[in-house]
Amino acid sequence: MGNQALKKLDDLGGKLIGEIEKQTSPSFETVVRSKGNIIFDQGVGYLRLGNKKEVRTFLNIAQARKFMQTIAIANKCRKFLVEGAHTSIRGLYYQLRFTLGEDIEEDLFDEQTESNPLIEDLEVALSVKREDLNLNTDRKGVAAGQFKLRDKFGGEDTLIDGTKQGRSGWSIPSDVDNGLDFEEVKAKYVLVVEKDAMWQRLNEDRYWQKENCVLVTPKGQSSRGCRRFIRKLMDKGLPCYVFTDCDAWGWYIYWTLKTGSMNLAYLSKELSLPETKFVGVTMSDIKDYDFLSKLTIRAKEIDVKRAEEMINYPWISKHKDWVAELKLVLKDKKKLEQDALQGPRLSFVSDYLKQKINEKRFLS
Amino acid sequence: MPIDSFSQFKEHSVAEFFKKNKQMLGFSGKVRSLTTIVHEFTSNSLDAGEEVGILPEIFIQLEEEGDDKYKIAVQDNCGGIPEKYLGKALGQLLAGTKFHRYVQQRGQQGIGASGCIMYSQITTGKPAWVRSGYKNVIIECNIGINVSKNTPVITNLTKTMGEFSGLRIEAHLGDVRYENSGYGVYEYLKQTVLANPHAQIEFIAPDAQRYMFPRAVDVVPKPPIETKPHILGITANDLVEFSRRIKESRISAFLAEEFSRVSSNKVKELQELLPDIDFSQPPTSLNWDTAEKLIKAVHTLKWIAPATDILRPIGKENVARALQNILNPQFIAQSDRSPQIFHGGIPYQVEVAIAYGFTNGAHNRIMRFANRVPLLFDAGACGLTEAVKTIEWKRYRIDDFENMPIAVFVNFVSVHVPYTSAGKQAIALEEEIIAEVRNAIMEAARPVKGYLNGIVHLQERSSRRKVFLRYVAQLAGDMSELADMPKKKEAIKKGLVDLVEHRVGLIEEAEDAEAETAKEANAANGAVANGQENGNGKKDFEEKGE
Repeated sequence: MGNQALKKLDDLGGKLIGEIEKQTSPSFETVVRSKGNIIFDQGVGYLRLGNKKEVRTFLNIAQARKFMQTIAIANKCRKFLVEGAHTSIRGLYYQLRFTLGEDIEEDLFDEQTESNPLIEDLEVALSVKREDLNLNTDRKGVAAGQFKLRDKFGGEDTLIDGTKQGRSGWSIPSDVDNGLDFEEVKAKYVLVVEKDAMWQRLNEDRYWQKENCVLVTPKGQSSRGCRRFIRKLMDKGLPCYVFTDCDAWGWYIYWTLKTGSMNLAYLSKELSLPETKFVGVTMSDIKDYDFLSKLTIRAKEIDVKRAEEMINYPWISKHKDWVAELKLVLKDKKKLEQDALQGPRLSFVSDYLKQKINEKRFLS
Repeated sequence: MPIDSFSQFKEHSVAEFFKKNKQMLGFSGKVRSLTTIVHEFTSNSLDAGEEVGILPEIFIQLEEEGDDKYKIAVQDNCGGIPEKYLGKALGQLLAGTKFHRYVQQRGQQGIGASGCIMYSQITTGKPAWVRSGYKNVIIECNIGINVSKNTPVITNLTKTMGEFSGLRIEAHLGDVRYENSGYGVYEYLKQTVLANPHAQIEFIAPDAQRYMFPRAVDVVPKPPIETKPHILGITANDLVEFSRRIKESRISAFLAEEFSRVSSNKVKELQELLPDIDFSQPPTSLNWDTAEKLIKAVHTLKWIAPATDILRPIGKENVARALQNILNPQFIAQSDRSPQIFHGGIPYQVEVAIAYGFTNGAHNRIMRFANRVPLLFDAGACGLTEAVKTIEWKRYRIDDFENMPIAVFVNFVSVHVPYTSAGKQAIALEEEIIAEVRNAIMEAARPVKGYLNGIVHLQERSSRRKVFLRYVAQLAGDMSELADMPKKKEAIKKGLVDLVEHRVGLIEEAEDAEAETAKEANAANGAVANGQENGNGKKDFEEKGE
């Protein structure tokens, strides 16, 4: 991918120079990322950008500065790729925070809020991810289980064994595409657990070994790297099950993983997990595990409001099981934490998950 | 030495007079006192220059000598004062040549330089030092004032032959303060040169900073002509006062000789209206009652307007040169008003200039002058300020009068300036004067509007080009590296510049064509445009009515 991104950048440069030679305004095309151009694609099952295109061009008063800035970002990223060095989007901003010249009282960039959206422009225009341009994002998320990876980084070639990550697990990097390849995946499925504490509990039980799976926690809302890692495992044929609290935040985490988010709609194809299933916790679990009825919490206003909204989302309303679940929430006005499953005994969580997964009692 | 109780009493009274009236005479507050002193000395020099026909070169230096203590040195090249008059001119209060004259004049009424020397003496106890070069004789001496007798005290006098022609006064001042503000000496001098472009002033501030205000015009203004007051501008009180100072032996002669436009026929008409007053009596027989009756009768008759050719405006071209010289604005617009009469009998003229777009900004956006003298104080109470404030500046494309680089210069020229108080820093809020000043400002503001319209257009154009061109170097560098063709950088840069020039050229052509069409359309629809304006006005009114 690194070489592909480099080629795309070179091609962009060549195209722009060609336009100047023909004395037309240098320009490139990108896709509109505003809400108006984000659609839920029933066919593929995730949010993606529509077909509205925008041309970024130099000879337009309103665009001249942004155009120049975008090309500066492109050139800087090209240098990172050639040098094989990575940085963050903040690091990139600092690399480009200089004056345009002694006689020009203007800086290339004044604030990082100027450079961030232009990076997205470039990602969309070139159909690459920022990670492909050697721009790191924040690392969040931990995995352990039946997989082996080869990590080529900083001149070293390291074999990572997901079964030998001890109590802390393997920390999922920002970029899982470039210089990182699966050597072996023995696991039969991926289990995503909302909370880090729950992951640690299951890791201590060696759940991934007993169940032959990959155990992942995004530690709340999932990072790009974490979603991409799960996507790659699913591309190898593994199903994915998600285990969160039964509340507004938990549902949000699940649906972002499944259908993608508005902000990253332009990357949904690489990040979303439409085939994933929801394993729990659900309100309907109460009828199967009656101890849970005593461990509910009164739902907050936001949980109720969220549930009401979700019922009407087209990508949710088509799933009857979800509509029933949300109606239950709205009726009882209660919520459940995944931690409640440790009520009878600490390892009950493992039993609960094993049972539900084996019996395929999921929400879609 | 025994103290003469009588002389002590007298001393007390003169000093007391000065102290009591100090505020009225411009000596209120430390900053203002210093500005007043500089004003008195410079005005003297400018007047002297006019009288002898010399282009004034005035040098002023202030040095700090302690807390609120300064030494002032003022020097001019305006002919000096002969030994005989030196004491009278500088060491005697109310001894100036200007008192009781009906003439367009600069200074305060006679308090002048001797008042400043008095101030110096009562605040520091030291005499002033003077060097006067008059007709190749140079006199140097100390001058103080015997306050009990109100006579000059001249000591250490030396006399030499030499080239120096002019006057230098050095005095120590207490209870004054230098401040670089809209009320300070620097601003005063700057505005003085604006209103007196034939003068050159060099100023050394207490921090040793040297300021040079160069001359903009090489012609000395003609000295003002003394004139008789017009009878319509006279009050009963004036009449009684005048009647005590004149040589005529009859009231009829007094009226005909001392006032302008009073012919012997007019005197007869007055006599017929006032059978009770005997016009053959000496004028000293006029008391308040008879004077009041006389003035009442005067106002029932028709009079020829006073002559206005005695006014000495700065002149349109001179004002323009002065503004260019000192403020260096991008644009100057001026009024061109003829002299007017107020109170039916006092001629005056208003000169307005508006300067737009300057970097060496003035402290005061409204620069007021009375007979070329800057008015720095009491702006709020002044009719000139009032007139400027009531202008709807937005109509002239001046959307933000307070913050745009704009200065309004207003000079009020008259033989009798209707000041609000003896401090002489504000012109009375008289309706007819404010209306005339407003007219003058609006006359000057019209071309400013046209200019600003033009600038906005030009700015749009030049900034459009600039916006593109300023990014060309950066863009060319990045593009050439992006395409891995760093050697092509200069060629790309040239290509981009060509592209910008070509594109901007096309846009401008389109705009010009559009503007041309719009102009023709406007010319054809002139009446319609006016009609719309009225329509809007009506709408506003209706909305307010609701």
